[in-house]
Amino acid sequence: MKLNFNKQKNTYLLLFFYLLLLSFAFYSLQDAGIHIEEKFHRLNGLYWLSYVSEVLGFSNLHDISSEKASEISDFSLSSVILYNKYGIIFDLPTAFLEIFLGINDIKSVYYLKHFLSFSIFLLSSFAFYKILIKRYNNFLLSFVGTSLFITTPRIFGDSFFYKDVLFLSFLTFTIYFLLKYLKKNSLKNLILFSLFTAFSVNLRIFSILIPFLFCFIIIIKSFQTNEYRENIKKILIYLIFFFVSIFIFWPYLWASPINNFIDLFLSLNKDLIDVKILYNQNYISNRTLPNGYLLNWLIISSPILQNLLFLMGYFFYSIRLLNRYFKINENSVYNDLWRGHREETDFIFFLFLSSFYLLFLVFNAPLYNGWRLVYFMNFFMIYFSINILNLILIRFQKKSNLFTLLKIFLIILVTYNYYAIIKYHPYQSLYFNNFLSEKKINGFEGDYYGISSKDFFEKISKIDDDNEIKIAVASHTPLYRGLEALELKERSKFIIVGQEYEMAKYIYKNNISEVDSILNKKYEVPKNFSKIYEKKIGKLTIYEIFKKN
Amino acid sequence: MKLFFYKSILIFCLFLLAFHFSFGYASKKISSLINEKLSKDSIQILKDKIKDELKTAVEKENYIKPDDAKLLNKFLNKIKSDLEKNK
Repeated sequence: MKLNFNKQKNTYLLLFFYLLLLSFAFYSLQDAGIHIEEKFHRLNGLYWLSYVSEVLGFSNLHDISSEKASEISDFSLSSVILYNKYGIIFDLPTAFLEIFLGINDIKSVYYLKHFLSFSIFLLSSFAFYKILIKRYNNFLLSFVGTSLFITTPRIFGDSFFYKDVLFLSFLTFTIYFLLKYLKKNSLKNLILFSLFTAFSVNLRIFSILIPFLFCFIIIIKSFQTNEYRENIKKILIYLIFFFVSIFIFWPYLWASPINNFIDLFLSLNKDLIDVKILYNQNYISNRTLPNGYLLNWLIISSPILQNLLFLMGYFFYSIRLLNRYFKINENSVYNDLWRGHREETDFIFFLFLSSFYLLFLVFNAPLYNGWRLVYFMNFFMIYFSINILNLILIRFQKKSNLFTLLKIFLIILVTYNYYAIIKYHPYQSLYFNNFLSEKKINGFEGDYYGISSKDFFEKISKIDDDNEIKIAVASHTPLYRGLEALELKERSKFIIVGQEYEMAKYIYKNNISEVDSILNKKYEVPKNFSKIYEKKIGKLTIYEIFKKN
Repeated sequence: MKLFFYKSILIFCLFLLAFHFSFGYASKKISSLINEKLSKDSIQILKDKIKDELKTAVEKENYIKPDDAKLLNKFLNKIKSDLEKNK
């Protein structure tokens, strides 16, 4: 068989692109530290693995997982029984992998999880590529879209931490199967869509909105096709598979499915975090965020060109949809919210983004640490950026000079993200736009995850040879948990003394605080300490080290 | 049916937004103000200020001006005598 390289060059380019990213991830994996919630996630996985293996009768697995879970102790970690409603889609399989592969070095367990999380993210980016190529039938645009999807600095940095970008990945799969189902109308895709909806709900409870949005789309489709009975049947099949999947993949529901499912929503208000957060140089309660909170964060922590393209794309589509809305005719199939599969895809992206945004706005979602909890919105934002680029491309296609100019623009757009990823490495998840002043940038929350802890301990090891070094923490970050990123023999020399500053030789400080640090002096560094080091990237101060005089 | 459905959706969305930017906005503003003024940290600051003021008063030789002291003395005596009369 003869291979036609010219015909398959796009496939090779994609393959090369993914191999490059995987290699980069593999070799730079251990540059970042362990984040503060990893211990909880490991415990969550082992706890539920122990429960599942007991229910299924795998006594050996139950004993090992129970023992491993009981070994996890930390004075700053709450009992898993108090927070047992958290999803298990990633935590449980990785806990099983830890036991199956016999990994005993905790550091290796965490970095394996980082790598798996990034791999899932890359897989979801391929699903996004497939959505784009089907919508625009243009390799260049689809490739640019996929590149932006992966390389948006904050998203790239967070993709290793199996939290919010993991949800983004599962939501991408969910929408991918939704679109596939709507196009092919097959039972297989409907089941896959319901399965991934269940996974998404397992990871983030607010994605319970998806079934409602699906019903809404099917109702509109019924107006177009007049197949009401058939569509009701589809909704019922979807809902049955959705609830069955939720039940199967969420062991928390096994004991009492209906009561525990209701409890997930009832406990939302109680379990949601209630802290002060640093926003625009002031400490505000995360329960009463200003209306512009989300939009402000999106603008200051995403690349400018990407923001502009998104705003233009969303604005143009909104106008188009409004035009369509006012032309809707009761009797004409052609005068509806969309015409054809391509416009249907645009509408679905618009519907999802707007509904989620409205949900967060109206219910005053208690966000914290920037827009981390809504990183999934980046998926929709990139889609609208590509949408506007497609419109420009169609206009310029016949004007070769302008077309070349557009290509140069696309190169700049993508190259900037690669530059930012390299510049911020391994702190891409703390990316800020450059147009803000240094004072302004540091007036927003920084290293919430405490990923700089590894760098901090390594720095102290370099400047201090003592066998016992006492460190105080002028921050809400549980620095103690970051020790697990170090070799076992290195860990033992550090003694973390919390806010007992007088006992310490060094103080670690970043701008994360759960109290109003302007009024509350809990995290104020005593005057007998002097700053000896500051870790900065661009204008952002990641952390500072103070030493006793 | 189709037009009715679409119009209902639009009205629902507009209602949600109007509610959020009027009543919701006002209630959030009040909560935020209460949170800010009556927070544990703000109360602690107030307590500290009162303590500082008391300390200053104790340390000063004459905290109240002589005229004010006379007036206060007269006022307290007056209250005291009134209370005695109506025992």
